[in-house]
Order: sequence, then structure tokens, then C-alpha cells
Amino acid sequence: MHNSKPFRWIRSFIFLGLLIIAVLDLYPLFYMVYTSMKTSAEFAMNPSSLPKSLYLDNYKALYYRFDVQRLFFNTLFCVVSAMALSLILAIPASFAFAKIRFRLRGFFFMMMIATMTIPGVTFIIPNYLVMSRIGLVDQFLSVIIMWSVTSLPGSVFLLTSLMRGMPDELIEAVKIDGGNYFQLITRVVIPLSMPGIMTVSIFNITGWWNDLLTPLIYLQSDSMKTLTVAVSTILSLHSQDYPLLLAGLVMTATPPILLYIALQGFIRRGLVIGAVKA
Amino acid sequence: MALYEVLSTYSCPVRSQSIYGVEPMSLTKREKLIGLLSILPIFLFLSVFFYYPTLNTFFHSFTKWDGLNETWIGLKNYRDIFSSGDVWLLLRNNMIFVLAYPGIFLFCMIVTVLLHEQVAGWRFFRSVFYIPTILSTVVVGFLMKVMFSYDGTVNQWLRMFKLDFLATTWFDQTVTAFIVLIFCYYWQTLGQGVLILLAGMSSIPEEMYDASKIDGANWWQRLFQITLPSLVQPIFYFTFINVTWAFIGLFPLIYSVTGGGPGYSTTPIDFMIYIKGFMQNGEMGYASALSVILFILVMIVSWIQFRVSERLSE
Repeated sequence: MHNSKPFRWIRSFIFLGLLIIAVLDLYPLFYMVYTSMKTSAEFAMNPSSLPKSLYLDNYKALYYRFDVQRLFFNTLFCVVSAMALSLILAIPASFAFAKIRFRLRGFFFMMMIATMTIPGVTFIIPNYLVMSRIGLVDQFLSVIIMWSVTSLPGSVFLLTSLMRGMPDELIEAVKIDGGNYFQLITRVVIPLSMPGIMTVSIFNITGWWNDLLTPLIYLQSDSMKTLTVAVSTILSLHSQDYPLLLAGLVMTATPPILLYIALQGFIRRGLVIGAVKA
Repeated sequence: MALYEVLSTYSCPVRSQSIYGVEPMSLTKREKLIGLLSILPIFLFLSVFFYYPTLNTFFHSFTKWDGLNETWIGLKNYRDIFSSGDVWLLLRNNMIFVLAYPGIFLFCMIVTVLLHEQVAGWRFFRSVFYIPTILSTVVVGFLMKVMFSYDGTVNQWLRMFKLDFLATTWFDQTVTAFIVLIFCYYWQTLGQGVLILLAGMSSIPEEMYDASKIDGANWWQRLFQITLPSLVQPIFYFTFINVTWAFIGLFPLIYSVTGGGPGYSTTPIDFMIYIKGFMQNGEMGYASALSVILFILVMIVSWIQFRVSERLSE
């Protein structure tokens, strides 16, 4: 379509339209960043103006009063652990579903896929009670387990469909060389499915970092909260200080944006996989 | 047979025979065992944290339950939900987001078609459009809450452009509260839609367009005869995640922007389950019944969508 050489001015209009949308996308983000550097008095005077000076007290307040670095590492710890747990479980299972023949394989696959259509809120109350019975409420492990379990069916589904395309000859070659199962997984399966593993991990990591419901319910004391939860409970309810709230939002938004900037290609490819496999 | 032995003798049977000097387990049998062992941990986790709780919810939807004590009350929860009219209000709030979907779909479609013209800087625009999607709904929600506050930026602009009558307390009326909610939804979903549709569009071979140009088809004919029909899969995928989201994904948006208010007028089903289950003690039976209703709804909606997509792909 683009080589049909439409008139130059049509292309200019298209450019202008896209530019306006880009401004609408970026303006609230700039607003969030510069307003977080205003005092609340300055905000009350004029909510839209740029800050008069570089005022970082809101960030200092987050650091001293709200222990933001602890919240940050809480979140990071949960996200990284959940990723490790879900990959350790997902990779061998996906390989089994894709390449090993065993009885009831199709049945188990269906049983797993079926869980993807069940909304998370449906079972959250009994789940909470299970967690409290085994003493995991207010422990990071509860969130780590819940994130892994709820993401597993989707991750395995995607990795299985990718691993089906793995050449059988390579797998046979490892077996003939006398490699055992662990060597097969670590030397062939993981390297060959790296793009899929990256995609799954990026989507899971951003999803978990941004998640509200699970950590809101399982992590209750303030020192255990994740950043997203702390911003939406402590900061938003205990203060009407909007610039301070926005400083918290900036802290919450930064890691996913950095991850996106660094790994855009994987995210784009991931969305394509979803669109093709649906 | 120990787990280690099973795994370490995955290699070829000849070799393992020489090691153990006994008749080896046949390759297929060993593979079967490894296969089952590979998926076993997942199903242990799913059983404890997924299948059991789901069944448990079904059971408790027929009880009066505060988390400790349960009394069987049959269908009373369901009768209460339907007779009090609660469910219709909650459903209306979900349906508003379903009905808002065609709007954002159309907008995504237009933006995608424009991006596909590959004007200067289109790669940059493509990257920028996705940024709101990568953010937490909580961030978007609170940010918009600040911007739409009574003394906030949006009202200030409206006054500046002499549109004072539009400047309002956005969160005090149901209609304006929904306008803000849908604005958040659109703002965050544009990037997702554009990337999905654009990926579909880029996979259409250039030759198809060249051929149709030779046949004398104009830009619009190419759009409707080539582009749209090739996009059935991505469109279905995008529709599916958004319609499903309207039933099960609203929680963080509602939590951060309106808190379900004013009253319960922007409370969808999943937010109500949270309120009844975790905020108001002793209503867990009621919340379970709502969960079951939501579960059945999502099943029906998914089924309808799959049927429609099957029809369209034929």
C-alpha cells in the first residue's frame, strides 16, 4: 500500500494525525513526571504548570517515610522468584507435551488449557483460606506460588506450541551421544526455545509487576507490600498529596517502561504469537 | 525405580544395558515415565491452588459462609442475587465495557491502517503507542484520577477553552465516572490493538496488493477485499482478550479510579466479589455465588466468540 505514492499532502496529514495521538499518549506521562516534582502548594495553585524548580522532596519522602527501596525489592524478589519457579515447572512440562509420547497426554493438556478460561477471582476466597491454613498469608511465598500457578497454563501452552517445531533429529542426536535427560533439556531444549522463554518471561514479569489483586490480598502488613499495592493503598488513602502520589506512580511505572524500551522486539513478536495461535 | 535412575538412563538403550548389565526398561516405557514426571509438579500445584479452590467455591455458593462456619442454605444466595436486582446493576457495568469495545477497535483499526502507510517516523510512533499498555492499570488509573480531579488539569483546560459547563466533579456522577473509566481503557488499549493488528497486516504478502492494483482496485477496495479478510485471526484475538477483560479484568481499574462509586454504580462483578469476600465479613457465601455466576458467564461468552470465529474462518 505504501508504494502507491499518494499525494504528498495526504502523507503529511497521516503524519500529523499520528503525531497528535503520540502527544496524547506521552503528555500524561510527562505530566506525571513533572508534577511529581512540585510541592502540594504549587499543585494547588496551578495543577498544570511546570515546576518552578527541581524539587525532589516527594522522592525523599518516599525514601524516608515510605521505605520505597524496601517495597521495590519486595516486588523484585517476588517477581524474580515467581519467574524462576514458573520456568522450572514450565520448561520440562512443555517439552513433555511437545515431544514425549505418554498415556493421557491429550487429556492432561486439555485439563491444563481448561484452567485458562476460569477467571482468577472465581477461586480467590478458598485459595486465600488454603494459604492461611498452610501459614503462607503475609509471606512472599504465597504471591510467588499464586503468580506461578496462574501463569503456568498460558506459558506451557505457548512453549509447547513452539517446541513442537523443534527438529527431532537434534533430540535423537543427543540421545545417541549418550546424553541424559538433564543434558537434553539444558543443552538442546532451553537454547532452542530461548526466544519463546524470553517472550513468556517478559509478559509474565510486567504482568506481575503491575498486578494489584494477588499481592493486595496475600501480603497485608505494610513492610511486605509490593510497590504497586503500596502505591494504591498507603499512598492513595493516607494522603491527599497528589504530587507525592504521582512520585509513587513514577517509581512504579519506570521498571516496565525500561524493560519495554530494552526488549521491544520480543514484546512485538510475543503479541504476534498470540494472534496467530489464538 | 528411583527418580534419578529414570532421568539418567534417558540415553539410548544399548548404552544403559551395558551400564546396568540387566534387561533395560524399554525406551518408550521410560519416556512415558519421564513425560508423566515432567508434568506431575504442575498438576500438583494446579490441584491444590486451582482445581480444589474452584470446586470449593461451587460448594460454598450454596452456603452461608464467613470463612470459618458454613451452613447449607441451598439456592438462597442465588435467589438473593437475582431478586435484589444486584446482579443486573453489576452486569450493566460489565456490559458498558463490552459495548465500549467497538469504539476502541475502530480507532485501533484506523491508526493501524495509517501506520501501515509507513510515513516518516512510523517506527517511533509504533513504539510510543504501546507505552501506556505496558504500564500498570493502577498507574493509569491513579494518574487519570489526579488529572480529572475537580481542581485538576482537565477541568482547568476546559475552563481555559470556555467550556466551563463541561468542567465537573467527574467522579460524583455515574455517567462522567464511566467517561473517565472508558478514557483510561481506551488510552491503555490503543497500543495493544495497534501492535496486534499491525503484525497481522505486515504478514500480508505485498504481491497480493500489487496484483489487485493491476486489476484496477482502488485503495478502499484493497482495504475491504484484501486487508480486512486477512486480519480475521488478529481481530478475533484482540476482540477475545478485550471482551474477556470486560468480565474478569476490571478490578484494578475500578479500584484505582472510582472505587466502584458513586454508590455501587460503577461496580462490576469481579469488584463486587472482592467487596463481599474481603471487605464485608461473613458474605463469602454470597461472593462465591457471584463467582459461579461470573464463571458461567465467561464460559458462555467465550463459547459464543469461538463459534463466531469458526464461522468467520470458514
